[in-house]
Amino acid sequence: MSGVTEGVDLARRDVRDALAAYLVAFADDELLIGHRHSEWTGFAPDIESDIALSSIAQDELGHARLLYDHAGTLLSQSPDELAFGRQPAAFRNAILVERPNGDWGYTIVRLFLYDLADQVRLEALASGSHRPLAELAAAVRREEKYHVSYGEQWLRRLAGGSEVSHNRVQEAYNRAWPEAAGLFEPVKGQQTLLEAGVVTGSASGQMGRWQQSVRDVSTDVGLQVPSAGPQGGGRTGRHSEDLQILVDEMTSVWRSDPKAKW
Amino acid sequence: MPRLVELLGKADADASRLFAVLRQDSKSESHVHVGDVHATDAEMALMLAKEQFTRREPCVSLWVVPYSAIGATSYDDPDLFTHVTDKSYRFGGSYREQQRPAGPRRKDR
Repeated sequence: MSGVTEGVDLARRDVRDALAAYLVAFADDELLIGHRHSEWTGFAPDIESDIALSSIAQDELGHARLLYDHAGTLLSQSPDELAFGRQPAAFRNAILVERPNGDWGYTIVRLFLYDLADQVRLEALASGSHRPLAELAAAVRREEKYHVSYGEQWLRRLAGGSEVSHNRVQEAYNRAWPEAAGLFEPVKGQQTLLEAGVVTGSASGQMGRWQQSVRDVSTDVGLQVPSAGPQGGGRTGRHSEDLQILVDEMTSVWRSDPKAKW
Repeated sequence: MPRLVELLGKADADASRLFAVLRQDSKSESHVHVGDVHATDAEMALMLAKEQFTRREPCVSLWVVPYSAIGATSYDDPDLFTHVTDKSYRFGGSYREQQRPAGPRRKDR
C-alpha cells in the first residue's frame, strides 16, 4: 500500500497520460451504462423499478461527469467535449456497456456484473496514493452500494422466480459474462499507474476479486457461473457496431450546437 | 377490528405484495406513511421504496409493512370518532408557543 504519500508526481508525462487515459476509460463506462439504463425510463416492468433504475442512471452520469472533470483538467478539455465530442473509435469503454438493453434479465445481469466490477475498481482507486481521486472514489462508492443491492435483489428474484425467468436470466448471464470480464482489460499505461501507486492491485488481481464476489452471489441465488474467457477490445477502441448507434443518438443534441450553454 | 384487506376488498395474495412505506425524516420524528410500493417481499419493497420516497426528501429510516398485516377501522362506523359533548378542554389551544419551556432540543439525524 502506498496510501501514505500525499500525491502523485503529475509532472511526469507518462503518469499524466496514463492517468488521463484511465479516467476517460472509467468515465466512458459510467456514461454509457448510465445512458443504457436511462433508456428504460418509462418502459421498466413496473413503475417502482422504472424510477429506481432511472435514479441509478442519474448516479452513473454524475460519476461520469466527476471523472471527465478530472480527466479534462489533465487534457485541457471540457467534460462535455469528452463525453459528446468524440468519435466512437476514441471511446475506451468496455464493450459490455455499449450493448443494447435487450430484456430485463440482461439489463439486471449486466447491472449486477458491472456494479460489482465498479466496486472493485473504486476500491483500487480509493486506496491509491492520489489523494483527490482517492477521495472521489470513496465518495462515489457510497452511492454504488445501492446499485449492487438493487442488482443482487433483482437477480435473486429472477433466478428463483419461475423456470422461465431462471432460464432467461441464466441465458443473459452466459451472454454478458465474457464482455463483463472485459471491464478488466487494462487501459494503456495502467501498469504505470500501478507502479506510481495511483491504483492498487493489478488488472488481473482486480478481475480475480470481482470473479470471487460474483461467484459467491451466483452460487447463493442458484445461477451457474459461465466458463468462457474474457472478451476485450473496448479499451483499445475496438468496439461493436452498437456503439456507433448509441453515440449518434446520445450526441445528437450536443452536435446540433456544440457551443450552446445548457 | 377488521383487517384492512377486507375493508379494501383485496385478495390476500395481492395485499401481501402491496407494502405501505413509512418514512422517518429525522431521528426525532415519527415514521410517517408516505405511499405504497408493489414488491414480492419486504426486502425488495425497501429497495424500491428507497428510490420512490427518498429521492427528494431527507430520510434516516424506512419501514415497509404489507397491507395484509394492517388492522383498520371502517369508514362505516363514524360514531367511533364522534365527540358528543364539548371536550375543547382537551385541545390545549390556549397554550402559547412562546411559553414552551426552553430546553435542549433533540439533535436531528
